[in-house]
Amino acid sequence: MNHQTRVYNDIFEMLPSEENPSPMVRINRMSPSPDFELHAKLEWLNPFGSVKDRAAWAMLREMEEKGEVGHGRGLVEPTSGNTGISLAAMAKARGYHIRAVVPNKVPLEKKVLLKIAGAELDVVNDALCPAPGLGDGSINIAKSHAKAQAKKYAMPNQYENEQNVLAHMRTTGPEIWRQTEGKVTHLFVSLGTCGTVSGTSRFLKGKNSSIKVIAVQPTEGHDVPGLRNVSQLGVSKLFEVEYKLAYARAMELCQTEGLLAGPSSGLIYEGAREIILRDKKGFGVMIFPDNIFKYTSNMMKHIPGLATGNEA
Amino acid sequence: MANYAQPEVLVTTDWVRDNLEKPGTKLVEIDVDTKAYDAGHIPGAIGFNWQTQLQDQVRRDIIGKEAFEKLLGGAGISPKDTVILYGDNNNWFAAYGFWLFKIYGHKDVRLMNGGRVKWLNEKDKSLTTDPPKITPTQYKVTETHLELRAMLPEVMDISKTGKANLVDVRSPDEFSGKVIAPPGMSETAQRGGHIPGARSVPWSTAVQQDGTFKSADELQSIYIQQKGVDSTKPTVAYCRIGERSSHTWFVLKYLLGLDNVKNYDGSWTEYGNVVAAPIEKG
Ligand SMILES: Cc1ncc(COP(=O)(O)O)c(C=O)c1O
Repeated sequence: MNHQTRVYNDIFEMLPSEENPSPMVRINRMSPSPDFELHAKLEWLNPFGSVKDRAAWAMLREMEEKGEVGHGRGLVEPTSGNTGISLAAMAKARGYHIRAVVPNKVPLEKKVLLKIAGAELDVVNDALCPAPGLGDGSINIAKSHAKAQAKKYAMPNQYENEQNVLAHMRTTGPEIWRQTEGKVTHLFVSLGTCGTVSGTSRFLKGKNSSIKVIAVQPTEGHDVPGLRNVSQLGVSKLFEVEYKLAYARAMELCQTEGLLAGPSSGLIYEGAREIILRDKKGFGVMIFPDNIFKYTSNMMKHIPGLATGNEA
Repeated sequence: MANYAQPEVLVTTDWVRDNLEKPGTKLVEIDVDTKAYDAGHIPGAIGFNWQTQLQDQVRRDIIGKEAFEKLLGGAGISPKDTVILYGDNNNWFAAYGFWLFKIYGHKDVRLMNGGRVKWLNEKDKSLTTDPPKITPTQYKVTETHLELRAMLPEVMDISKTGKANLVDVRSPDEFSGKVIAPPGMSETAQRGGHIPGARSVPWSTAVQQDGTFKSADELQSIYIQQKGVDSTKPTVAYCRIGERSSHTWFVLKYLLGLDNVKNYDGSWTEYGNVVAAPIEKG
């Protein structure tokens, strides 16, 4: 493969790595402070469309190496959408079947995309991003399939699979270190499975322990797909943002920076903005997980005017 | 088990694993999410659907005696069998099933402590999608215990006189009237709030992190000492549709051993719709 000419033998060669990092773009018109250089790392430019390409690939590779998939054995995975879409596209390209178990609140676009990507879809009543462990819902329905039909299904289980963290230690972290030439002082991330925050911060803090890692979470009872409010989880160093701002900021990023950012990116931007107004100086990287295309129905719910005037 | 008043009504997941194939032991899974059973169940377990099999399909009521006999006969259960119930959401509907089995006089019915999630997360426990082998029986109900069920007039009277404890097991937001039902629920009411005189003790207060019940001492301290349930009086538990309150009914009657405990299955979706019924908010 040649990342210069960008000619590839298969789609997997396009997956991000230190040699082929996802792009980082500077924030200009929406820069909160002239003394604070702020960048967005555009994870939606990964080949299957989101930050979850990294975890999905790492989990799938390990399962292949251990011989846990193939010969009629496919995958079952609980997902709020993006992991499932990445996994489904990868699995089908490899010839494995896949069943995705999603909470009911997942946006319609993602449910339909999962089917288009070739997943068998199970929709269950559950929180948007369920807490792992006890409780019921998508994680446990997926576990039930894997346990009851072990010959048919292997379960990557992004919520408990350490490859989800290692993927970011091996790729996202080194990419950012190289792209910023070690200048990064602030890392802004969101929390879903917490793979991104755990892996990236572990790598970067190993390089420079004074880097600040700010995990932005939506207010409780939120409606931001892919994310969780971690009062469920017990992590510290959190910055909480009113979840409706995720939508307002996503819209603003689309209309003033040309960044077609989705709501979780909008939330991260708002967290970064508030921290930068406080810290004033620094060099920040925001990991933007996904663009706006899968969230138009959510945007219509939260941004007045988008739902009207769409018919003749 | 931990000094419970009637410890025989609870079994552990290990007990179930060891007694799966014992003749006269029947397993029944009852879930909130009816997809769960189909995804995988304990080998040999039958699945009951709470919406279509445990409720009368015409009027709002539990199934009648004949329907109960038909359901159990069709499931191959005999009156002498030991029936183990388990399900999702901390055994909510399994507890509802337990209550129904007791109303129709089934002698030996037990709950699997921790429910299906505990089983699912234990390495030495298996699940299957194979349907159970059933030999139908002629099940006969010989006694009914309607004294386990509270109906609206009695609840109205208790609210007015305070002659019994009223325990509201819904979430604090449902109790205060901030929400009428948990998000996404289709059964609801015209008004929010609670029955005057009720104490708020959310059902989940009775369980530990892993979904199993707290010890008798802890339960005693929570319900009697902290929440002020008067153990010399009868008690009525209610929620929204009677499933979470079955869970608390089970705790109060069998684990704490209170004398006279009833489940008000009409619950808030009945009371909160009654014209001119007094309501407290906050
Ligand atoms: C849109 C979106 N944003 C953010 C995240 C969070 O990433 P992580 O699961 O690595 O914490 C996810 C993934 O779950 C996502 O789908």
